Amino acid sequence: MKYQLSHLTRYQYQQPIANSYNLACLQPRQLPYQQVLQSSIQVTPIASGLYSHQDSFGNVRHFIHLQSPHQELSVLASSIVEVQPRYLAGQLANGVGFEQLQHCFSNQSQLELNPASTDLLLARQCRFATRMIPLLPDAAALWAQVQQPHRTVLENVAALTSLIFNEFRYDPEFSSVITPVSEVLAHRRGVCQDFAQLAISCLRAVGIPARYVSGYLETQPPEGFERLVGADASHAWFAVYDPELGWVDFDPTNNLLPDERHLTLAYGRDYADVVPLKGVLQGLGEHLLEVAVDVMPLP
Amino acid sequence: MTAPIHTSSFSGYPFTDGCYDELVAATGQPRLPAAAIARFIDKHGRAELLARQVLLNQTISAMGVCFTLYSEGQNIDRGWPLDVMPRTIPLSEWRKTSAGLTQRLQALNLFIDDLYHEQKVLKDGIVPADLVLDSRNFLAPCRGVSPPFGVWAHICGTDLVRDESGRFLVLEDNLRVPSGVSYMLENRTVMKRVFPELFADSTIVPVDDYPHQLWKMLASLSPRPGDVPCMVLLTPGIYNSAYFEHSFLAQQMGIELAENTDLTVEDDGVYLRTLHGRKKVDVIYRRVDDIFLDPTVFRPDSVLGVPGLFNAWAKGQVAIANAPGSGVADDKVIYAYVPKIIEYYLGEKPLIDNVPTFLCSDEKERGYVLANLDQLVVKPANESGGYGILIGPRSTQVERDDMAAAIIANPRNFIAQPTLALSTAPTLCDGELEPRHLDLRPFILQGQDLYCSTGGLSRVALRKGSLVVNSSQGGGSKDTWIINDEV
Repeated sequence: MKYQLSHLTRYQYQQPIANSYNLACLQPRQLPYQQVLQSSIQVTPIASGLYSHQDSFGNVRHFIHLQSPHQELSVLASSIVEVQPRYLAGQLANGVGFEQLQHCFSNQSQLELNPASTDLLLARQCRFATRMIPLLPDAAALWAQVQQPHRTVLENVAALTSLIFNEFRYDPEFSSVITPVSEVLAHRRGVCQDFAQLAISCLRAVGIPARYVSGYLETQPPEGFERLVGADASHAWFAVYDPELGWVDFDPTNNLLPDERHLTLAYGRDYADVVPLKGVLQGLGEHLLEVAVDVMPLP
Repeated sequence: MTAPIHTSSFSGYPFTDGCYDELVAATGQPRLPAAAIARFIDKHGRAELLARQVLLNQTISAMGVCFTLYSEGQNIDRGWPLDVMPRTIPLSEWRKTSAGLTQRLQALNLFIDDLYHEQKVLKDGIVPADLVLDSRNFLAPCRGVSPPFGVWAHICGTDLVRDESGRFLVLEDNLRVPSGVSYMLENRTVMKRVFPELFADSTIVPVDDYPHQLWKMLASLSPRPGDVPCMVLLTPGIYNSAYFEHSFLAQQMGIELAENTDLTVEDDGVYLRTLHGRKKVDVIYRRVDDIFLDPTVFRPDSVLGVPGLFNAWAKGQVAIANAPGSGVADDKVIYAYVPKIIEYYLGEKPLIDNVPTFLCSDEKERGYVLANLDQLVVKPANESGGYGILIGPRSTQVERDDMAAAIIANPRNFIAQPTLALSTAPTLCDGELEPRHLDLRPFILQGQDLYCSTGGLSRVALRKGSLVVNSSQGGGSKDTWIINDEV
């Protein structure tokens, strides 16, 4: 599938802002199953500085600096992306078992697998608590509910994904971008970001490397309605590291394995690593934020 | 200094059992480097020593040498505590020690550079990968950045202690924003006023080239070599406990003392706001912690940082000393691996040994630690200033139980070491010379070249029997005399 993707972030300030520094994480990743054919970042008013670099997770970041007084800032990221099918469903049974995975990350095996690969080191990093994702015993209890010893880790993760989908309610009113995992767990509701972070918390608590994936999902309008431009939203899911298969994605919000309709933006340890646009500004007053995302299929 | 020493200056000195004394040999005679001070006491008597301590205290308050204690939400400025009795070390011994210190810093810098690039040391299993990757001082945004000369920790304050045989051991490396060097320099200035006669005809090696060496090291990092660099010392401001040192060092080096609002980032360059317009900054000697440096990259709520600073540094437009992320090697768990790190990168044996260390992250060692809490010193991995330490032999059962629970909850965060018989030195306490435990913090610099301070800051525990020397915990200090014994 080929998509025209646009992500517009617009701030309106009550009073002129003298200086503003922003860090964007808005350029989709180049992946074996995802080609970025075109990509651009457009800043209004014209930025006095706009540079890009790759962060330690391989995401492309843009640093945006404005130093002339402005009352409005908009950042429009647009790209054309082609996504190929990933056939993940057939792979789950080929993954490793829990013990094999544990062994792979024990200190003992670090010596056996000498030299360990860069990939494995990155995966190791995705086993620890982060500021946004603490390792909660209550989250680990979810794993105990679904895991069955004869299944591969990935099959069990698929079961966890279904459990979250079935027992948690999707509720955009409930949470914000900083809702802690413990709240999500206590009230059994949240949005995609919460479900991804909850699953990650659960997996890391039992020793399985899991990372946060930010991106977009092509949505289909309800039957009988026309497709609305700009009505889509950012999406998030998670991936689990399997020593045999590498990183495998799961989408707990929709209880499915990401495929052609999932567009991958960035990887990180948690949401804080991949915030689409964050920054610091010098000035006074309130601001209004408006975000419009559009994922339009191309013929 | 070959003449035999006949002296009664230390007669009746109450040694602490099992501890090496810096000035007094087991016979009660002064050690050779201590001869000059011993002769002074013999000639003038104790009363004169007391008089000099009074003079010393007056000098300190006249010069305004102070430090700040944080307690109960208040900042209290205190006069800097300096003991009238110096600590003496022979130059021949100091040469070997400083070689060991520069070796250590060289290896640590190779280690940090590797961690932020290829991570060979982790792939080869020299240091367990989890220890580094789970460390909150390992900063992901620093991956791939290449500071000048591959050096990250430009200024290192390494704490040395002597064991019962008098051998120097490394207690810890301070690679984030080590402080104390201004007190080393001020102690010397004060002592020169208090003992002019001893400095007039003695062989005490000077310490005062440190500010020049620091300036030279910082200048070597400038992205515009060849020209006189514009350098600033970035301070969190007057409420910081080390503000005295910040202003002192800036003055000594003749560089600007800046707070974050004095700096601004434009087009990836860092500029200092001055009365004559903006001036491009080449080197920042920062005394602000990593996570407060740049709110766009680290803590977004930081009011001490400069937005955009990190990016300017990563692009090589400005040098920052110490570089962001260098704290990853300043971790009491990584510390245990430093001897291996030295061998791995330099192919040399460490010239100064570590204090034996038990890692609570290791199941077997943790078992030992939990069973012997009353014998050991337990330290949190990422604290400084002596906060959160348990000294086993002097702890209560409740303190030990709390510590055991804390270790079990987060083993990665604790290390334990045997309670050391730290060396002592005669210290003036209530008019008598009594042994008090002390350590030594030399300062090591690495830019284009390596440098180690002459001696360092000797910190002394003023309470009888106490092993805690930190100024924030009521410790005092001594001037450290490196005595030239090679003449």
